[in-house]
Amino acid sequence: MRIWNRLKYLWPAWRRQEEREIHEELRSLAAIAGTKELGNLTLAMEDVRATWGWTWLDSIFADIGYSLRALRSQPAFVAVAVLSLALAVGANSAIFSLSDALLLRPLPVKNPADVFDVSSTTPDNPFEGMSFPDYRDLRDKSRSFSGLTAYRLTSLAVAANPAAPAQIRFANLVSDNFFPVAGVTPSAGRAFLPDETTAPAQPVAMVSYDFWQQNYAGDHSVIGSSLRLNGIVFTIIGVAPPSFTGLERFVRPSIFVPLGMAQRLGGERADPLEDRGRHDLIVKGRLSAGTSQESAQAELATIGAALEREYVKTNRNRHMAVRTELQRRIQQTPQLVALIKMLMGLVALILIIACSNVANLLLARAPTRSREIAIRLSIGARRSRVVRQLMTESLILAIPGGVAGLVVAYGGILLLQTLSVPSDPPNVLGVELDWRVVQFSLLAALGSCIFFGLVPAWQTARTDFVSALKAGGDGASGRWRTFGRDVLVAGQIALAIVVLIAAGMFLAGFRNMLVMPPEFRTDHLISLDTAPAVVHYSPEQTMAFYRRLVDRVRTMAGVAGVAMTQSLPLSPSQTAVSVVPEGYQFPKGREKAIELGAVVDALYFSTLNVEIKRGRAFTDDDRAGSHRVAIVNQQFAKTYWPGQDPIGKRIRMDSANGPAAEVVGVAKTGHYLAVNETPAPFVYLPYDQNPRSRMTLIVQSIGDASALARPLRDAVRSIDGNVPVFNLRPVATLYESRVTDTWLQLFQMVGTIGFIGLALATTGLYGLVAYTVSRRVKEFGIRVAVGASNRDIVWLVERRGLVLAGVGIAIGAVLTAAAAPLLAAGFPGLGVSSPTVYALVPLALLMVSAVTSYVPARRAAGLDPLRALRNE
Amino acid sequence: MDLLQGTLDMLILRTLLAGSLHGYGIAKTIRSTSNEALDIEFGSLYPALKRLEAKGWIVSGWETSEHNRRAKFYKLTAAGRKQLLREHSKWADFVSAVGRIMGTLPEVKG
Repeated sequence: MRIWNRLKYLWPAWRRQEEREIHEELRSLAAIAGTKELGNLTLAMEDVRATWGWTWLDSIFADIGYSLRALRSQPAFVAVAVLSLALAVGANSAIFSLSDALLLRPLPVKNPADVFDVSSTTPDNPFEGMSFPDYRDLRDKSRSFSGLTAYRLTSLAVAANPAAPAQIRFANLVSDNFFPVAGVTPSAGRAFLPDETTAPAQPVAMVSYDFWQQNYAGDHSVIGSSLRLNGIVFTIIGVAPPSFTGLERFVRPSIFVPLGMAQRLGGERADPLEDRGRHDLIVKGRLSAGTSQESAQAELATIGAALEREYVKTNRNRHMAVRTELQRRIQQTPQLVALIKMLMGLVALILIIACSNVANLLLARAPTRSREIAIRLSIGARRSRVVRQLMTESLILAIPGGVAGLVVAYGGILLLQTLSVPSDPPNVLGVELDWRVVQFSLLAALGSCIFFGLVPAWQTARTDFVSALKAGGDGASGRWRTFGRDVLVAGQIALAIVVLIAAGMFLAGFRNMLVMPPEFRTDHLISLDTAPAVVHYSPEQTMAFYRRLVDRVRTMAGVAGVAMTQSLPLSPSQTAVSVVPEGYQFPKGREKAIELGAVVDALYFSTLNVEIKRGRAFTDDDRAGSHRVAIVNQQFAKTYWPGQDPIGKRIRMDSANGPAAEVVGVAKTGHYLAVNETPAPFVYLPYDQNPRSRMTLIVQSIGDASALARPLRDAVRSIDGNVPVFNLRPVATLYESRVTDTWLQLFQMVGTIGFIGLALATTGLYGLVAYTVSRRVKEFGIRVAVGASNRDIVWLVERRGLVLAGVGIAIGAVLTAAAAPLLAAGFPGLGVSSPTVYALVPLALLMVSAVTSYVPARRAAGLDPLRALRNE
Repeated sequence: MDLLQGTLDMLILRTLLAGSLHGYGIAKTIRSTSNEALDIEFGSLYPALKRLEAKGWIVSGWETSEHNRRAKFYKLTAAGRKQLLREHSKWADFVSAVGRIMGTLPEVKG
């Protein structure tokens, strides 16, 4: 009732009615008692309004109206301020969106803060997955979690019917409680039932919302229809909601299938769910109410220790780790964290530069405002009220700044959305202008409003109104104010130096990368992936399939050569091997190394032009049953056998008791994951000794590589029409998208950030120099009158601009030195200590400052001394 | 004479206990009942009336006065009556407490 009583006064019509009523009452009382008897009724009326409790709102509306009038008279000021903010907020929001996609966005589940990652770790691998038996024990014994779910990411050959060609799609094999634990309700149909994990009576599957829209146009009759996955007929029982895009950052599964189908889908002899040594499940758990991460970790440590005692063979040195999603991502991709930190740091500097710009503009208005404010103070306005009025003006600048910033951000996001590698099934980099980005932009705008508004507002409100009224707007604190503005401009230039040097480093590193030739051939090559295992080939059948395919392709017209590899360098999917290099002493607690590696055939090195530095390449004699061999790269030899001859050394595969392979060759170290990586060890194994189920074919063409696409597809079809073909593309296309395009876009981004920083700092400098010129008109007039030449005046103004720039550059140099480690971490492998950049950037900035100051300097020199003096 | 904070509200409620009155009537009654000791400005009384009305302790309505003039009359509500009782006992406690301290003033020399 009380709240209602107060709220009704928010309604203007109600207030008007109430005021009419009061007027009428007071009139009637005046008629009874006489006006004199009643005293000051206006004041009484004011007090009554105060009891309604909304006077603050009234005064805010008044402030807004007043601010709008004040700002309307200065469109240029408003334009520069809003534009500065828009650029800075836009850059920040675009980078925030990128960081969100790469790292920050919470899992698309209900109450994501309660969902934790549970992984099985060993000293050798902090991110190894969980085996199903371990998961089952954990799920039965743990009390810390209200639900624990396990899943595995895989790709499946998907076809609506036996006649349709199969497409490769990402899929999640999930435990039955996957959707309930995620707190996700299907858009249509139902989720899996509790008995559908282990004992699937009839194969059932769920599809993603996107898959449903694309393949079934959102038709509800899809529920109950059948879908062929790896050749097995499944019944679709449900559709995930549009908001649920899976629990991975960069892939969005189209299909969800119970884990119980893993054996049949993979065509495996043994049930993977019964293999405690197979660590390939990702486990997420929702904490029970009132349980902390620490207590969950403690409980899991106990359970893990019990499992270690019971299953020594598979669980030795194995621990359970409970991590938040963000902790997991940060630990998993430290290079992304470094990149994000650096980009976020750069755009934060941009925001500070923009804020200084606006603060500077506000301070420039201070002298003209001080007279008006002095009048308000002298007729009794409180200073806090004046500060509030000025803050309202800042806010009125900040809001359009934030909104315009969103438009700028949208442009940046469109650019970032093209940052993706062509592959099928596609990887997704979810850079989007979503609600989180909007919130971030507005928050950034409001935060900067406080930053740039408060000091000038306080400064202005401090006005000593007696002297301000006397001196006609030219208060005594003028000198202090210019000093404050000098500091701001020098600071802007200093920050711009940091931003520009960072951008320059990036440019230098990028140039190095462009001039660096790829370590393998990219021209006249086309590659394709196939996966015969998805249609239930046995390992022997798979080998036979690949042998037939290679033989057939070799005899095709226009083909110069053909080779096979498990993964192409720089392609998004790289494979790793567990190795124990003989003679290498591992640090305590570790017993094997997980290094990048690929299974390749004998012609790989010659086809891809990968240089063998010592020893030999694989030959056709390295076959199954013959002496096991391996080739390592130079970095591997350097890491594990420093100063020794790697040829003849032996590597144990998988563990210290695994089969040994003798090193017969050393290949040149290349780039495997990214072109800016630090040199990484790499192991090559011969295909015939280590057959794999999924291989990439590399075909060297005589003419245009892409012309071979169709014949290659047909070649696979002619052997088996059910075997899916994917990632069919020229190697040059892959290389460009991974190397040139990605980095070009990053470079454009950093370059744009640098340019915005420079533009904002230059605007600030120009504003200040122009302002000083306008304040010193009289002085210049006198100087010219007593014989100063135009050049003297120009130099007088220039000097000021250059001194400010010089101080800014000096501070910037110190800041850059402090920020250098962060830069180095952000661009691993890029030339961070480029002396050219260190020399060029300050010089360039000094020149820009000179040019910037020259415009107002010319104006000062062009003043007619008589006019200038008469102005007074 | 200055009034302690909150006292004005109590006085208004007490005055209205005798029957409904218009705003000026309340001021006049307080003045006359206190033998002119409490001369409350209408400018402070009126906002207090509105405050009490918003709290639901009094209600108002247009009536015709003794001289056949229309005016808004204020009347105590049940909630207002309860509030008055509370205020009154608080006030009585306060007066007796102060009374105990002050007592009768002994002869002061000088």
